Amino acid sequence: MSKNTQCQTHLDTLRREHREVAGTLLSTMDGFEVAASVGEQISPKKMAAMTSSLLALAEAVSRESSVGQCRDLVIESSAGLVLMMDVPSTAHRSVLTVLCTEAAVLGRIRWAARNVREAIAQTLDAQSAA
Amino acid sequence: MSAQEYKLIFTGTMGAGKSTAISTISEIEPVSTDVQRSEAGNDAKVTTTAALDYGEVTLPGGDRLRLYGTPGQARFDFMWKILSEGALGVVVLVDNRRPDPLADLREYLTAFRDVVAGSRAVVGVGRRETHPVPDLDAYHDVAAELGLSAPIVSVDVRRRQDVLLLLDILFHQIEATEA
Repeated sequence: MSKNTQCQTHLDTLRREHREVAGTLLSTMDGFEVAASVGEQISPKKMAAMTSSLLALAEAVSRESSVGQCRDLVIESSAGLVLMMDVPSTAHRSVLTVLCTEAAVLGRIRWAARNVREAIAQTLDAQSAA
Repeated sequence: MSAQEYKLIFTGTMGAGKSTAISTISEIEPVSTDVQRSEAGNDAKVTTTAALDYGEVTLPGGDRLRLYGTPGQARFDFMWKILSEGALGVVVLVDNRRPDPLADLREYLTAFRDVVAGSRAVVGVGRRETHPVPDLDAYHDVAAELGLSAPIVSVDVRRRQDVLLLLDILFHQIEATEA
């Protein structure tokens, strides 16, 4: 199974196991889509570029405020939330984005997403070592 | 008249020198949002701007300029719109080493058409000393084709004087239209 297919499986699982997860996306730090599981109304390409900009800006704010390295970014909106997480792969540092409905509880989603991000990081690093 | 604050945009293709231009003249440590490029291009550039660059400079008259650099790549074009909001003028940087720098100019003049059309733009063409073709007349022709006019000059964004000259030209241009 290719690296991207395995990542796709992780994304699909997260979406399937949590009803409040409306979509998931894995993208490179510089804004290219790697794998996505989102509804038709969302463009993964555009989301990939946008999350890249947001995380880059959040990192700049972290630096400016001397609070260390930026790990997660949460957008709480009127009808849901968007969670963006740094995937700590050494070979392919990337971003995991989780789109949630308003039914989502942040702590629960964060916990689930953290597990997926670890799994994705392992997948990305294992592949490049092979 | 009291000192004013103005917002200016630096835009152009990846590698044209937007981040460099801002860091060359900024009086504060510039804000950078560089990220590692995942796909190596033909050039040696390893990072690219994902959100914006930011710097500040004070003009001799006391006016302060807030300088915003856009990402170069078109997939970040939503940032172009966000950053253009409230901008007084735009500096378009072009890299003459690129395969088709005239097409690059066309793309950015079109994307920033609203600002450019108000005669609030200047174009800086870089690396002309090693890549003299196309010449500045060809750039003027591209602007004319689009029904736009902007001063077009050669620039080395690593030189503070060059970047300040670009801003000087831009301000003359803006004042001329407002007078």
